[in-house]
Amino acid sequence: MQKLLKEFAEKAFSRPPELKARKTEGRKIVECVGSFIPQELVYAAGAEPYPMCRGGEPEPTDACLQYMLRFLNPFAKSLAGYYLLGLDPVTDIADLIVAQQKDCHVSRISELLEYLGLPLFKVGVPPDWEKGFAFDYYFDALGMMKARLEDLTGMKVTDEGIRAQVESANAIHELLRNIDAFRDREAPCVGGYDFIRMNHYSFYCDPSYTVSQLTKIHDKISSAGDVFSNQSPRILLAGHIVAVGDYVVPKLIEDSGGVIVAEMLDEGLRDFHGTIETTGDMLRNIAERLYLHRVPPSVFQPAWRQRFDHLEAIVHKRRIDGVIWYQLSFDEIYDMEAACVSKWLSDAGVPFLKLESSYEYSREHMGPLTTRVESFIEAIREQKR
Amino acid sequence: MKQDSYAELLSLAGFEGSELADTLPDWIEAAGKMGLSGADVRHAAQEWIPSNFDIELKGVRKLIGAFLREAIDLTKAKQYKADGVKIVYGILPAITSNYLAIKAGGGDRVFVSFPDIFLVTTLNGFFHKVNRYLETAEASGMSYGCRHCALNKTRIGARLMDVIPSPDVIWTWGYICDEGPKTDEFMQHMCARDWDFVISRLPHDTHFGENDSQNTRRIEYLAKQMKDGYRSVQNKIGIEVSPESISSAVGVFGDYAKKLSELIGMVCSADPQPMGGSELACFGYPLSMPFNTGFDHVRDALDTTVQEVRERIKKGEGIVPKGAPRLGCYFVSTPVPWICRMFRENGVALSFSMLMTPTRAQLSPVDYDDPYMAAAQTWLRKPIGTNLGYEISVTCDRVRQYQPDGMLMGFYDFDRWLGAHQKIMSQAVEKETGIPHFYMESDFWEDRDYSPEALRTRIESICQIVKMNKMMQS
Repeated sequence: MQKLLKEFAEKAFSRPPELKARKTEGRKIVECVGSFIPQELVYAAGAEPYPMCRGGEPEPTDACLQYMLRFLNPFAKSLAGYYLLGLDPVTDIADLIVAQQKDCHVSRISELLEYLGLPLFKVGVPPDWEKGFAFDYYFDALGMMKARLEDLTGMKVTDEGIRAQVESANAIHELLRNIDAFRDREAPCVGGYDFIRMNHYSFYCDPSYTVSQLTKIHDKISSAGDVFSNQSPRILLAGHIVAVGDYVVPKLIEDSGGVIVAEMLDEGLRDFHGTIETTGDMLRNIAERLYLHRVPPSVFQPAWRQRFDHLEAIVHKRRIDGVIWYQLSFDEIYDMEAACVSKWLSDAGVPFLKLESSYEYSREHMGPLTTRVESFIEAIREQKR
Repeated sequence: MKQDSYAELLSLAGFEGSELADTLPDWIEAAGKMGLSGADVRHAAQEWIPSNFDIELKGVRKLIGAFLREAIDLTKAKQYKADGVKIVYGILPAITSNYLAIKAGGGDRVFVSFPDIFLVTTLNGFFHKVNRYLETAEASGMSYGCRHCALNKTRIGARLMDVIPSPDVIWTWGYICDEGPKTDEFMQHMCARDWDFVISRLPHDTHFGENDSQNTRRIEYLAKQMKDGYRSVQNKIGIEVSPESISSAVGVFGDYAKKLSELIGMVCSADPQPMGGSELACFGYPLSMPFNTGFDHVRDALDTTVQEVRERIKKGEGIVPKGAPRLGCYFVSTPVPWICRMFRENGVALSFSMLMTPTRAQLSPVDYDDPYMAAAQTWLRKPIGTNLGYEISVTCDRVRQYQPDGMLMGFYDFDRWLGAHQKIMSQAVEKETGIPHFYMESDFWEDRDYSPEALRTRIESICQIVKMNKMMQS
């Protein structure tokens, strides 16, 4: 499986030069920020999508400080930081950046990108999601995004075109669901560190390649033996995002003897649990799936009680031994939610550990982080015995 | 003896004769409820307020008086609620005229307040005593290190300390930040189950340089949010708010804004500068939060100050020597007034606050008759609610209008919207106008992390630079 995953990674990392070549052939490159931006629309418009989802390194966050407040979360700062450092291979050749506007961190960083002269299109995502007119607003915004893409590529986006892309996405999601199901076993044969990376690679690779590679991975796992012991503490990893490249914490959890058997993250993972309808108005189907039929992100309102109900359901369904809350520094909404989740999980008797990252993983930072994770896993293991 | 300090403070705040005597028992009780000791009140009356506010101006004293009246009123909210009065809260920043309209519609049957901004400004601005509220909120889960907003923490602290009751409804606006509205969700889960809220939110999705107040889709959406908010609030409190009340509130609001604009214009064009930035910004509060005790006291304070400032200008009197440089601010220096004082002691006056200064567009008539569309457009004319590109252009306009010797930016560490972009604003406006901008990492609601000692060097250095610049120009 590791060999297949490595191939998958190599394919994903070869995407920037591939895009450069496509650009010379006249294809438009569209960078996408956030889970409310459907890549299916970009493909349907005949353009090439590329997700901006990288993080896990401190230098890009520091690069933003000449323009931005120190107290933004490091993922948001990284969106501009890699570009400012000249480490972003795609933004320079992107014809458009489409960014969701659902929280202040990304919204302000989007403005920084505009200030730097980059071509940005904003998709408004109202957080008061239970209001009918809020959904209409998001749906309209997707309509405007579609029109903007049509302008860019000169290609009409049809329902048929979207449907074909949605069917591909549904196929990817089904495969991810099937792979995820291996984590339900008493002795899981795949962990979260690998599963998260599979998700990430699937963002970058062509959908048909992704389907083929995930099928191979699925088949390989199903014929392979157990990877984790049935005594490994079963961890739910929850929070905002594990960005592409930010693998220190998931890896540390599994290196310490735990196994991540489920995630509840707002960004950085495909929402593979459901499918998008393929009959009727395709744009509306996408809007409903992305806005209404999902676990509301933390910034939505109301959200926290619904989110906790969902989290609790995962805890029961996946027989979770402990929840690790992975929070980015200065992410104020997640910090507040963490207090609620901590209280509710304590009431329910489920162990909880809150970790916070500024993407600073120097040796000085790794020591205490490792100790905390190892102690947590060890304590759960003792309890499990 | 104890009563003397309380009376002394009321006297300082413009209370006289029988009104002072009648108010004194209420004030003593209110101070106790807010957690102020006799020593705190004495310190405020004898040291803190005289050293940080220009109490030679009777209008300023009256304004402090208006805040104290409101403090007394706020601490009675629990009793009001028990008596059947409906309690409606809001948070900053919101469309204040909406709350004035609710008050106009409900009269004595409704109590309106933005308790957090009110408590932070009163307790920190006039007493330097809000920390207990902040620490209470931090103990409830608002991590100290995450740099949460002091306003939200104070709202939490005030409820947990039982200073304020849960409202019948808090109408919370999330047009600027995410944390404000989410705080109410936090409170409902962590502090008080009966903390009932209505939220109205608006994504930050206009493009760089676009004029939000001319974007029909945005105006219509905001009007819809307002209409929906009004409907929900009215359902919860059972009090009807007529379109006439809304229009009349917009009118009262507009009149005050014009008068304030006149004062700011006088202060910024006179040399020497006749009054300080903390006091000037303080007069902007009625545009940002409703006073349940009404507009009369603040309007009287403003009228009095306008007269007094005219007199000072006529006599050539100022808070700094003639020719001293002045700095405009993005923030409001009232809650941490020693910042303004420290600049003044270094020969530099803080003048207008961007946040509390209406723009030309805000003062011009709206394009709509429908009260919701009108109120929506009014809001979207506020630079803080617009995209960065448009805010830069409006800010350049105001900087050119008031001609400061420099602009002081920052002090918004806690705000992921209004704080996030200030370095870019500094670069862009400085480039456009040629006026130097200075950025300071700090917090203007509370000063636990940024003491006078911590900021002194930076302030002294800024003052030296602007004084040198001024000398070079003359």
